[in-house]
This record gives sequence, C-alpha cells and structure tokens, in this order.
Amino acid sequence: MTIPTSNPVLENLRRSLGRRPGDPVPPRPAILPPRPAAAPEAELDLLLSEITKLSGVTQRLTSAEIDSALSALLLAQEVKKATLWPTPGLAELKIETRLRQLGVEIVSPYADKQALGQCDLGVTEVSFALPETGTLALLSDGERPRAVSLVPRVHLAILRPSALRADLHQIFLEAKNHHYMIFITGPSRTADIELTVTLGVHGPKALYVWVME
Amino acid sequence: MSERPTYIKFGEYTEHIPANIPAAVQQATGRFLGLRQMRVSEMPQWEELRQAASNIRLHTLENLDFYLEKLEQNVRAAGGQVHWAADAAQARATVLEIAKEHNVKLAVKVKSMATEEIGLNHALEAAGIQTYETDLGEFIIQLMGTGPSHIIVPAVHLKKEEIAELFTQKLGVEAPPDPVKLTAIARATLREKFLSAEMGVSGGNFLVAETGTLVIVTNEGNGRMCTTMPDLHVAVVGIDKVVPDWETLTVLLKLLARSATGQKLSTYTAFISGPRRAAGENGPKEFHLVLLDNGRSKILQDPVARETLKCIRCGCCLNVCPVYKNVGGFAYGWFISGPVGAIFSPQILGTEAARELPFASSLCGACADVCPVKIPIPKILLHLRRRVVEGDEFAPASAPLMVRAGAKLGTFALGVPWLYRFGTRLLPIFTAPFRKDGWMSSLPAPANLWTKVRPFPAFRANFRQWWAKRTK
Amino acid sequence: MTQKVQLFITCLGEQFYPTVLEGMVTLLERLGVECQFPNAQTCCGQPFYNSGFQSEAGKLAKTWLQTFGQSEAPIVSPSGSCVDMVRHHYPELFPAGTPEHAQAVAIAQRTYEFTEYLVHVLNVTDVGAYFPHKVTYHASCHGLRGLGLRTEAKQLLGAVRGLEMIPLNEEETCCGFGGVFSVVYPEVSRAMMQNKVQNILASGAEMVVASDAGCLMNIGGGLRKAGSSMRAVHTIEILAASESNGGLKRGAQ
Repeated sequence: MTIPTSNPVLENLRRSLGRRPGDPVPPRPAILPPRPAAAPEAELDLLLSEITKLSGVTQRLTSAEIDSALSALLLAQEVKKATLWPTPGLAELKIETRLRQLGVEIVSPYADKQALGQCDLGVTEVSFALPETGTLALLSDGERPRAVSLVPRVHLAILRPSALRADLHQIFLEAKNHHYMIFITGPSRTADIELTVTLGVHGPKALYVWVME
Repeated sequence: MSERPTYIKFGEYTEHIPANIPAAVQQATGRFLGLRQMRVSEMPQWEELRQAASNIRLHTLENLDFYLEKLEQNVRAAGGQVHWAADAAQARATVLEIAKEHNVKLAVKVKSMATEEIGLNHALEAAGIQTYETDLGEFIIQLMGTGPSHIIVPAVHLKKEEIAELFTQKLGVEAPPDPVKLTAIARATLREKFLSAEMGVSGGNFLVAETGTLVIVTNEGNGRMCTTMPDLHVAVVGIDKVVPDWETLTVLLKLLARSATGQKLSTYTAFISGPRRAAGENGPKEFHLVLLDNGRSKILQDPVARETLKCIRCGCCLNVCPVYKNVGGFAYGWFISGPVGAIFSPQILGTEAARELPFASSLCGACADVCPVKIPIPKILLHLRRRVVEGDEFAPASAPLMVRAGAKLGTFALGVPWLYRFGTRLLPIFTAPFRKDGWMSSLPAPANLWTKVRPFPAFRANFRQWWAKRTK
Repeated sequence: MTQKVQLFITCLGEQFYPTVLEGMVTLLERLGVECQFPNAQTCCGQPFYNSGFQSEAGKLAKTWLQTFGQSEAPIVSPSGSCVDMVRHHYPELFPAGTPEHAQAVAIAQRTYEFTEYLVHVLNVTDVGAYFPHKVTYHASCHGLRGLGLRTEAKQLLGAVRGLEMIPLNEEETCCGFGGVFSVVYPEVSRAMMQNKVQNILASGAEMVVASDAGCLMNIGGGLRKAGSSMRAVHTIEILAASESNGGLKRGAQ
C-alpha cells in the first residue's frame, strides 16, 4: 500500500506542527468506560420506552401474533406496496408470505430506485440496539440493502433481544470493521420551520419496532 | 452567503438589528438549552466527558499528520479515493473535476459547513450542475437566497407564511402556511432529486482514522439519501475533523447531539467506509473524500488559537451567547456565527477582513462553560484582539493608527500616578455642567457612545481625601 | 496578630463608587482587619488588555505589581473583573522565567475579590449587617466564571438581617457592559442591558445588587433610562449597612 510521495498539503501540515514522518505519537488520551448493563428485561424495557418517547411504535410479539400485528399496521399506515430484506431471519418468520397473503404487493429490494420509491413499507432486521438512547443499528451488505429502511415512509424493524448492547463501545467493537452501519434513533424529523417538530422529512415518517419473544 | 466575504461589518449590521431576528433566534436557543439542561442533569459524567473530548481532540490536532496519513490509507483500503486540497479553490476544482468525469447534471447536498466555506454551490451552478440543498432549513434559505441565522436551524428567522409564499413562487405549488404540509412538499420535491441525482455531496462530522470511516449525523434522513441513492458520493471535510478511532466516538457522540439540540442522539448517524461492496446493497459505486486545509494548518502553528479546531460544530456556544441571541447569525457575515464564528472567521479569512469579530463579545464566558470540547473561546478572542490591534507573528496590526495612539496616551496618563490623581480631581469639576441628580445623561463624543444608550454616573472621586483625613 | 490587607480600589471604583470603598474599609476594620492603601495605585490595565493592547497593559501591570509588591499583605478589591485580570492575565503578560512573571504569579495568589476574602480567608459569612429590603442579585460574569465565585456573595447577603433575596430571571446572563464592548457595539450592549433591566423590573425587588462596578454603571444607568427609581447597589454597600448607620449611605445611586 504505497502512498504517493509528493503531498504538499501533508508536508505543509507537518511543517506547521514541527513534526517529521515517523515522529512518535503519544498514546491517545483516555475515554470513559461503557455504561454497565442492567438486567436483560430492564434493558429491553428501557429500549422500548426510549423508542416510544421518540414517537416510534413498539410491540413485543410471538410468531403467533405476527399476522394480526401486520394486519393492524397495514391498515393504520395504508400500505399497498412493501419491500423487505431477503435475510434468513425474516424468511424464518415468513414475513413476505404473510404480507402477500394480506394483499400487499411485494417489490424486490433490488428493484430500481423509482420502484423502491413507490413502496409504503420497508421491513428489516436489527444488528444491534442501544437501550439508553432507543437506537437501532443496522449493518448493510448485499443481503441487507440500505434503501429498505430509508425510502418507504414506514419502517418496520424486527428485533431479537440478543441484539441489545449496553453501550456504544460494544457495538463499535463488533461493527467497526464492517463497511457501513446506520444508527436509527426514531423516525425522520425536523424543527426547521418555526421550531415545529415534524416527522417524516426525507426518511420514514413511522418507525415500528417489534421484539420477537 | 457562501461567497467569501472581503470585509465583515458586524458594527454596521448591528446598528439596526431587525426586530424579528433576535425573537426567532431566542426561541430556538431557549428550546435547545432547555432540552440540553435535561440531558446534562441526567449525566453525572458530563464534565468528565467534556474533559476527555477536549484531551482527545487536542491530541489529534497535535499529531494530525499521523492520523491523516492513517485515514488516507484506510479510506483507500476501503475502496475510496482521497484528494488533498490546500485551499478552497483547489477543493472546488477537485469536486468539479470529479463531477465532470462522471457527467453529473444534478447534485444533491447534505448540509455541510465545509462546502459553505469553499463556496461550492456557486461553483457547481456556474459549471451547469443543478445543485439542491436537501436539509429542509438549508433548502429554504437556498431558495430564499439568504444566509443562515443559526448553525443548526438556519431558517428559524422565517415565518411559515414566508416559507409558504416562497414555495408557492419558487416551486410552483399551492403551499399552505402549515409546517407539516410544507415539509411534505419539500419531501416530495427533493425525493425526486434524490432518486435521479448523479452525485451526492456531503461534509462530515467525523473522520475515523482507524478504519477510514466517515461519520455523518442528520435528523431528516437527507444525509442517508445523498450518500445512498446516487452512484457517486463526494465528501468535503476539513482536516480538523479527524478522530483517532471508534473509541473516541464513544465520547464525542455522547456530547454532540445533547449539546446541539438536547437530543440523546440525532435521528441518523451513518458510518461510511468507502463505497458499497455488493451490487444490490445500495450506496455509491464510488466514494471520494476531499480533505480541506484552507488555513487550518496555519492555525495549528498557533498554540493558543489552535484549540479553535477542536470544534465539533454543535452550535451550543450560539445558544448561550447573549451577543448572538440579540443579533442573530447574519451579523457575523459568513456561514459560521456566534462565539465560534467570532474566532474561526478571523483566522480563516484573516484579521483584515474580520477584524470586527473578535470584539463582538462582552467576554462573559458563557460559551466556554458549555463547549463540549472545552474551547477557551474568551481566551482566543483576547488573543485575536491583540492580533488586530498590535499585530503578532501571524498578522500585522490592522487597527487604525489613531486608535493605537489613543491607547498609548491612555497608558501614559494612567501610568503616572500624580497625573492620574490630578485628572481624578479635575473630572468632577469639568463635568459639572453635564451633571444632574448624580448622573450625566448626555456627553460629547466619544463619550456619547455610552450616553446615547444610558446615562453615565457622575464623577465623584473622593476616597483618597477621605482616607487621608482618617489616617491623620 | 492583626490581619493586614492592601486596598485595591480600582479606577471605576474610585471615580464612581467612593461609598463602596468607604464601606469596604469600615467593614474590614469591623472584622479586625487593618487596611493599607498604596496611594500610587491607578488602574490595573484591564481596559487596555481587553482591547487588545497587551503591551500597553503590560506597562500598567508592571507599575501595579511594583505598587502592590511593596507589602507582603494580601490585596483585596471590590471588583471581580480587576481581580480576574491580576490573577489570570498578569502572568500571561510577562514571559515565563522573567522576574515580573514570577512576581505576577506570586501576587496573583494573594489577590482577592472582597466576598472571596471574607468567606474563604476570614471564614466569615455573617458580618452583622442590617438591611430590611427586597433585593435581587445579578451575578457579574468575571466574578462568576473568571474567579468561580458562585455562592460567596449570596452567602453573605443571606446572613443580612431583614434582607429578602428575590431570585432574578437570567441571573447569570451578561448585562452587556463588557468594558470597551459597551462603546464599540453600543446597540448590542443596549439590547443586552435592556434584557437585564426588564428582568430586574419584573422581579419585584426594590433594588438590584451586584459585585462589579462596570455592571452597576450599566444596569444603574439602564434602570434610570427606563424611568425606574430602582437602584443598583454594590454588595459591599449592603454588607456595610447596619442599624447604626441607617442603611445605605446617602449619595449612592
């Protein structure tokens, strides 16, 4: 991995700092330790409570309850078209099949941007969750495209309790070498017009988080 | 507003402050501070976090060459491309070249102060590339053709009726004066741009040297849209935004949103290391990082003022500043305002162009109390005042000769005790004609600069006589 | 062994608030402290320093250090901003290693703002004062943030018999004086002053108290301009008041 030898900006910077290539660097000053996790039930309660404060809608379900929950969501949000991640986790819960049975048109997550733009609902899983702030962390790759949680106006995130992490430290340790991660903390919002908080600016207007028991 | 100003007239602007600006700005600052206070009171480790943040930011700046090299290596390893821009002109040229290579006709932008600093929008438009700001507040002021009144909520000074009028005129739609409906109009308008733009332009909140990762923080989702939908993503980021590693983010991300708006975390935080890896993933095929110096390395030569570059652009100093809250963002003449603007602009634009700004402060110190990275803003203001008035190794004096001569006269008078005491005895006599009920309500120039606002107390020194009598 | 202090009366204090200075002396002597007054003192140089004239300020600082360096006694002043100048900025005015720098550092450690001296050196919070009025407190910036004096004045005022302290909205917000700032950007200073005056008038107090002459000049003038008869008084004037001297000395605005 060779760096081009002539970099006038870097050289100028070195001169300004009075440093030469290879000069020692002292250790980075200390950070603070991670927050200790409470008991799993308490952590889950905290996560869901924070998401609710952000106007997210949360529910704890068993697979037997998925159909009725989906039915309610589709009605409340007037969903006609949906897209979802083709991940084993969602396949195991038969999300696509259930949606089709409920009359929703399924658009491939690999469809072109315009087609994706027509979707009302996007369904994903969650890689990590941070209780203290009500944050969902989603990694992306070929099987977990980014637009599914971004473009449709409703985002349904299916969460397993094992995704919870006590603090940022643990998430970063596991995620830092992955090439893309998005933290989602509530639905899209703005206060730019007269400080009136409005949801659903460019990202989803509604965020549903279902915890599978 | 993103044009580089040649001279910032803070004094002239503040002679007549439009009444609606302070009112609007104070609503925003009050809201954000109230929420911030709730967050701070929940966090017993707040002061520790600030100190850790300050230490790490300073350490990074002192070893910036090391971290930038590491960053470059890792961005490349992640499949991204890195360009170095010594100044604004080079940065603009680099972005334009990339855009031209990719035949870009339409660009969508995330709110980015670095791109304001270099005047990128004008350059793109001049090259025939339609450019849309996508942060709602930035979109509004772009349509309006004005600058920002606040760093975080740039259009806060506008009423919904004005925005409705603006949308009706410029977007050709029936826009009612209702924030929800206006937001929906902006969503629909910009969605079309997100889905068809060839290039997304962003700045960056942080650059993580450890893995070559760009961190972008937004609330609306436009940050995600601009860096996910187009095939090309170009990020312009100041070299001072580098952090050593992900552990550093555990400190900074806890401070940033809480300090800015009182949220625990902004809605979206994206961690981007290079372009997409898989065809179906979404995301750009190409990622270009333009590292911007534009005077930052010069600032690093100054051991006092270099702390300016610790800034993480939270805007909290604006929210507490009584000067800013009474004048709003336009008075500071450039894209960056408030206390941080008063120290940043004179150093990037030079003291000639921005010499009025270091004096735009009563030195109350409220900003230093809240800054999440503990920038000693009053100390730097004083440092820059000296640069303006006496000159230093970074710039010659730019204060007029008369002012400097006046100061010398003053020091002389005060430096000779008997002369001072003599003057003290004379003042009550000379000012007797102006005195009424213990006050002087109007005095000749230059003292009228005081009395036009409120009366001056009458000169009444007699302590030394009182003391002399007692000690007899 | 009697405590001795040197009086640092400040240029603004001397020109406009002689009763505050007299009150300071009376109070210190009542507490058993002997006062010395170096007559050669003029100005600490703060207005020059704040205006950017650091080399000019350095000349005045040198003179000040010579004046107050003659005696080993601690130095006490009724002004937080002047003490902040001496304590934090004097050492900056002289290169490290010079005798002036060493002297500045040494003297800085024995220079006190008045309420600071009473509470932290004399360990006194009740000075036996009597002042039956409703008073609201403005926290001057340099004392508050420069010297970290958050509670001292309030502790002392809290012990004054008959005094009722009324909270001030935006107590810690700058009044807009800022030294030269008030005449460099008068309209901004006006806006800040008016905001402070409005809060004071809305408080329901009879007068406003602060510990810095600059604030008092600005706020006092602002109250008068607003047509109010409310007075802006110095903390020391209240602390020096007692039954025997009938409260505030005549002549204070």
